Amino acid sequence: MRIAIQFRIIVLSAVSVFLFSCSSNYKLINARRVLYPISPSLAADSTIIKTYLPYKLKMDAQMNAVIGYSAIALTKTSVGGESLLGNFFSDATLHEARKTYPDIDFAMPSTNGGLRNDLPLGAITLANVFELMPFENELIVFELNGSSVQSLMNMIAKSKGQPVSGITIKITDRKPVEVFINGKPFDPSKSYRVLTSDYIAGGGDDVNSFKNPVKSTIVGLKVRDALIQYIKEQQASGKKINSILDRRVTND
Amino acid sequence: MINRRKFIKAGVITATAAALSIDSLDALASGSVKKLTILHTNDVHSRIEPFPMDGSRNQGLGGVARRSALIKKIRSEEANVLLLDAGDIFQGTPYFNLYGGELEIKLMSDMRYDAATMGNHDFDNGLEGFYKQLPHANFPILVSNYDFSDTIMHQSTQPYKIFTKQGLKIGVFGIGIELKGLVGDKNYGATVYLDPVQKANEVAALLKNELKCDLVICLSHLGYKYSDNRMSDQILAAENEHIDLIIGGHTHTFLQQPQDVKNKAGRITTINQVGFAGINLGRLDYYFEQYRGKKLITSSPYTISNDADI
Repeated sequence: MRIAIQFRIIVLSAVSVFLFSCSSNYKLINARRVLYPISPSLAADSTIIKTYLPYKLKMDAQMNAVIGYSAIALTKTSVGGESLLGNFFSDATLHEARKTYPDIDFAMPSTNGGLRNDLPLGAITLANVFELMPFENELIVFELNGSSVQSLMNMIAKSKGQPVSGITIKITDRKPVEVFINGKPFDPSKSYRVLTSDYIAGGGDDVNSFKNPVKSTIVGLKVRDALIQYIKEQQASGKKINSILDRRVTND
Repeated sequence: MINRRKFIKAGVITATAAALSIDSLDALASGSVKKLTILHTNDVHSRIEPFPMDGSRNQGLGGVARRSALIKKIRSEEANVLLLDAGDIFQGTPYFNLYGGELEIKLMSDMRYDAATMGNHDFDNGLEGFYKQLPHANFPILVSNYDFSDTIMHQSTQPYKIFTKQGLKIGVFGIGIELKGLVGDKNYGATVYLDPVQKANEVAALLKNELKCDLVICLSHLGYKYSDNRMSDQILAAENEHIDLIIGGHTHTFLQQPQDVKNKAGRITTINQVGFAGINLGRLDYYFEQYRGKKLITSSPYTISNDADI
């Protein structure tokens, strides 16, 4: 009996496959849409938790270590072209890289898009830093001539600001109108030492200003490791990490 | 057709009496109307657990276990469900740094995803890094505009797949974003990027005209829209003829409701994108009326309702 039914189903589906291969048999008449927020009020599927739990335990043992504390929540919300998170990120990486290369003039270690998560107020775990900077990018110091620096300024201004340190940029109508590097006006006839990542330097996020450097030097420090190192140092000296909006980038 | 035009012109979503009476007509039960449920995510970015309760913007939101429970509930209520993802499965939490995406793909298989496309971050451990996790996937990776011929991935993806649900034929294909300038050169290697609009039109026409699909869905990682003239779902929607639905990603756009765009053929191409990190699950239910001979029984116009009680 069961075999007979199955056979009938097979025959029927064979017939329908034949029919449907001739032409569409259906007309779309209605669509209804809904968005489900995945909120804490929803039940959780315990079989899924069971699958990821061994991964989680191993990960947490490594990643939940508190490496420092923040005085404020560091968010990537842009205020006039700069952000608390962007300023922290750039200042911290520049600080760490200058230990080896003290003559770096300024830094753009990431684009805004590369800041992948905010840092919370209070305890900062290793996981927080991995979520902020999940990529395995390396810090590199580039010596750039004036026109390459100008092209970088133009890119920063066109996008109304990027995470920078050691430089102030006044932007009007998406153009850099006033640039100070290390407190001195930008001189297009000079060359400058700029800290960035291998991702940005390789043309990532459509930054093309690092294509013709005078010189480039690999720092030997991953961007994320520089951040971790900086936070740990602050902690060791009894300080919380902090950041301010100091109008290093402004838009008129 | 007039109704459809009017709808597009006014740009207003109307829930008509006819639409609401579909269920009560018992048309579903009699088989003259078929219902298809599309569930979708994009840019989940290795967010296995909900965002931690640390005062941050998204605290407590998302989580694969909750999403899975919701999907199971919907599957228990609906006969024809397709579960799809628009790419950037990888990167964003230490789960990816430690396990390379294995867990993300395993859990998608457990949730019975039907298909996914590739986002730029799925290249973050190189082609080899993605390839290595494919044995954990029991769903196909659909990409039509990346030519992987000269790479390790040459047999790992397919341009499209046709799903048959109670006689309905649903064609699903994938479109990826340009990798140059977004992904490190060595991470995508010899992958050749093909024009997305041209490829999408080619594949969608094949699915609709030759393979007679009743619905054509594009999983796109192009991004919703940009302030400059970069290729986006907006452009693809306006420049195609046969796509019914674009499930988008990349820009992490939280659309409160799907957007209906008039395409090149004067029909509707719908775009949807539901943020990122699994904060939302999108759902679109499509109702199809069966032709009996050449005639439709009710000859209803195509109607759309959002925030539907489904």
